[in-house]
Amino acid sequence: MTIETISGCIGCEECVKSCPCDVIRMDPTANKAVIAYPADCQICHLCRMYCPVDAITLSPDKAIPVVVSWG
Amino acid sequence: MSHDDTQRPAGAYSRREFLALGAGALALGACGGGGWGRNEPKIDPRAISTDHTHACDVLIIGGGMAGLFAAVKAHDAGARTLIVSKGRLGSSGQTPFAKGLFVFDPATEKTSLDDYLASVSRSALGTNNAAYTRQAAEHSMARVAELRSWGFFDSNLYHRAFMVPIEERGIPVLERVVITKLFKDGDRVAGAAGFRLDAEETVTVRARSVVLCTGAGGFKPNGFPICDLTHDGTVMAYEIGARVTGKEWNDGHVGRAANPAATYDGWGDMFDRKPGTIGVEIHHDLGVDANYMAYVQGNPLHAGPGSGKATESIAGGPQTPDEFKRRPPGPRDGERPRGGGPPGGDGPPGPGGGPPGMSGAAMGGASAGMAIHKSEGLVPINDRCESNVPGLYAAGDALGSYQCGGIYTQVGSSLTGSAVQGAVAGEAAASYAQGVATPVISRAVLSAIAAEILAPLKREAGYGPAWVTQTLQGVMIPNFVLYIKKESLLRAALAYVEELRDHHVPRLRAADMHELRLAHETENMVISAEMKLRASLLRKESRCSHYRLDYPERDDANWRAWINIYKGARGEMQLEKQPFGAWPDGSTIGA
Amino acid sequence: MSVNSDLRTAKVSAHLKVLYGVVGLLVFVGLPLLFYALGDFPRRSLLKEVISLATLLAFSLMLGQLFLARSNMDVIALYSLKRVKRLHTVIAYSAVTVLLLHPLLIVLPRSFEAGVGPLDALATLLTTFDNLGVVLGLVAWILLFILVPTSFLRVRIIQALRTKYPKWRSFHGGLSVALIAAAIVHAIELGRHTTPPLATFYVVVAAAGVGLLFRMYFTSERK
Repeated sequence: MTIETISGCIGCEECVKSCPCDVIRMDPTANKAVIAYPADCQICHLCRMYCPVDAITLSPDKAIPVVVSWG
Repeated sequence: MSHDDTQRPAGAYSRREFLALGAGALALGACGGGGWGRNEPKIDPRAISTDHTHACDVLIIGGGMAGLFAAVKAHDAGARTLIVSKGRLGSSGQTPFAKGLFVFDPATEKTSLDDYLASVSRSALGTNNAAYTRQAAEHSMARVAELRSWGFFDSNLYHRAFMVPIEERGIPVLERVVITKLFKDGDRVAGAAGFRLDAEETVTVRARSVVLCTGAGGFKPNGFPICDLTHDGTVMAYEIGARVTGKEWNDGHVGRAANPAATYDGWGDMFDRKPGTIGVEIHHDLGVDANYMAYVQGNPLHAGPGSGKATESIAGGPQTPDEFKRRPPGPRDGERPRGGGPPGGDGPPGPGGGPPGMSGAAMGGASAGMAIHKSEGLVPINDRCESNVPGLYAAGDALGSYQCGGIYTQVGSSLTGSAVQGAVAGEAAASYAQGVATPVISRAVLSAIAAEILAPLKREAGYGPAWVTQTLQGVMIPNFVLYIKKESLLRAALAYVEELRDHHVPRLRAADMHELRLAHETENMVISAEMKLRASLLRKESRCSHYRLDYPERDDANWRAWINIYKGARGEMQLEKQPFGAWPDGSTIGA
Repeated sequence: MSVNSDLRTAKVSAHLKVLYGVVGLLVFVGLPLLFYALGDFPRRSLLKEVISLATLLAFSLMLGQLFLARSNMDVIALYSLKRVKRLHTVIAYSAVTVLLLHPLLIVLPRSFEAGVGPLDALATLLTTFDNLGVVLGLVAWILLFILVPTSFLRVRIIQALRTKYPKWRSFHGGLSVALIAAAIVHAIELGRHTTPPLATFYVVVAAAGVGLLFRMYFTSERK
């Protein structure tokens, strides 16, 4: 769904900064970008296009959230 | 958020709440992210540092096209300028996806400026503000020339080019800072406050003048790149007394029926293109007509080149003036290599007018919650992008300048208009800042603001912002509410939105800084939804992108007027008319 | 008898030569290709996949160089020193070219698609110093960059420094071991195709090769 994988990340943070929706964050221990909030991905591909090593793969699908009545 | 209900034990519902929740679930079918639940903080809200304060002459909020020029021109006018952006310069809001810039070049244009203005006004059916329409055309060449010198036209990504003038001037930039509050010193604006996404810190900026370049917004719809735009600037300004306009108009961009959330895929190669310029090309592009067709005859609806055979035009529904009717859909010659761009100010989303590159059956609501570019936002009191709150300016989609009108007229004029208005607002704000002292804000006021900003983090239980947003989407996005409007459903939706406003917004919870942002965005969307419904109820006619099934005709006798919204003395939403062609003080708008 | 036995020996050694060749190809070309084929990573454009494969094979063949050296007496005895040296040189020129161009090849496809430009991408790549993988990649690249001219000019270097060939050989071997160590960590840290099996393969092969080298140094010292 949405942003799928980050493989070959060099930890430059370009994707973190270029994501309009704050989907990607840095994993401070591995010093690599991680997909932190995929539900908020708008599938705009800016992260992929800003990545210097083309590490990011996206798909056009978005998982449909499960039905909840409350909490 | 005026009150905080953390004392209420989780799970204790009144009958009314219970019904609301049940209705929400029924109406939605799909909601995730968790509704009511315990807040499980991933950070310690008490450890959040609140002493990060900045001071400047002119504070620019927003890092898109308008914010870029506002910062550059305010700096060049001698003001100490600071830019704050929720994202990254040139990589947030709609700017990264807008590819077309309208340029009016008198040397090459066959149309005279006066003829151009007259034509835009005819297409806009009087809804445009001629002063801003003229300003965009007149200043377009100068702004485009500056952009060219920064390398803007050399890449499909804009961040690098945006940083050229900013770094040259050494203008400080705070990126990934979410501003949620404006504050005043007496009558005038005194600064803004928010929080950082990457650190547990609030941020406060004291400023003599503030320029909102915060863009427009929507309900985080699917298929249009506006999920980070939630009318933040408009709502912040409304809360401190600014007048807001344009909420009844609708951007009617369509997405694709297959993978409707896939914005990039839906827009073909649009996001891959380098930007380009466009000469005079005036339309009356509705978008809402596609929603009407789907409403009347159901799907699949074909809209846009390459999406299949379009249906015969159907009787009734939103009308385009004869002069501006596009030729029947199908391959059109002159399908321009322009980079129109989804939010490029040229949305021709109706049947026969989808953006190039789109294919497959269409799906409405891609940009739900957004009005026509430049039509919604702060009411300008003059042609200097000034609001009714002293010291508060707005530019681009945050300003209700009606540069295009309540309908898409000139192709590509939106991105150009943001550049032009940013520059005008930056200069005006710098000149205002010279005449006033730096505001003084007491520590007590600042810590009260910080407490308000951080409230969702401190709630022990509450509603997940994603769930409230989805509930709002379920109410607002269906085409029979927002696009094909009628009294009964507008009232029903308003009742629902009022419930969200009164019951859910004060109980939004947040577990970390990301969710804190979602909580504030959700609140802003709920307020904007109320504005949209109230303005739509008030305008009992159909005109441009506002279509009422129960009032399908234009009513020039009563409705040659814009609708302004402001916060009343008791905190209630008030609406007023402002006649077309006049400034708020009644003086005539000279073109 | 002796003629027969010589013939038999020749026959056996011919079979062995083929066997060694096939095994070498299977290990240093076949296995990496297999790991690539079995791996579950997103397949990208043809150009990008070709570049990735070329890089994988170049690195694997570089590891193979450890076995085409004086340390591997079995192979030298089988094929003759001259032939092994020639193969070592041929592989060196082809694999090293790919690996030296590796940073450029990563960003090259950006020239043909929308997004950050290749030079901007390279600049970001080469300045991300807070990442261990990037730093070790740079270190390995620099070591490789030293390895090439020092090999090419080894005769003149030996003359100029008035030293002996074995000393140069130790230098060359030591440089290679350092380079391979840095490069393996780099590949494991950053390589999008470095799956656990491939990483294990790198480590095992490198350990065996370095083991051979150390055995030679160790035994020659003892002599």
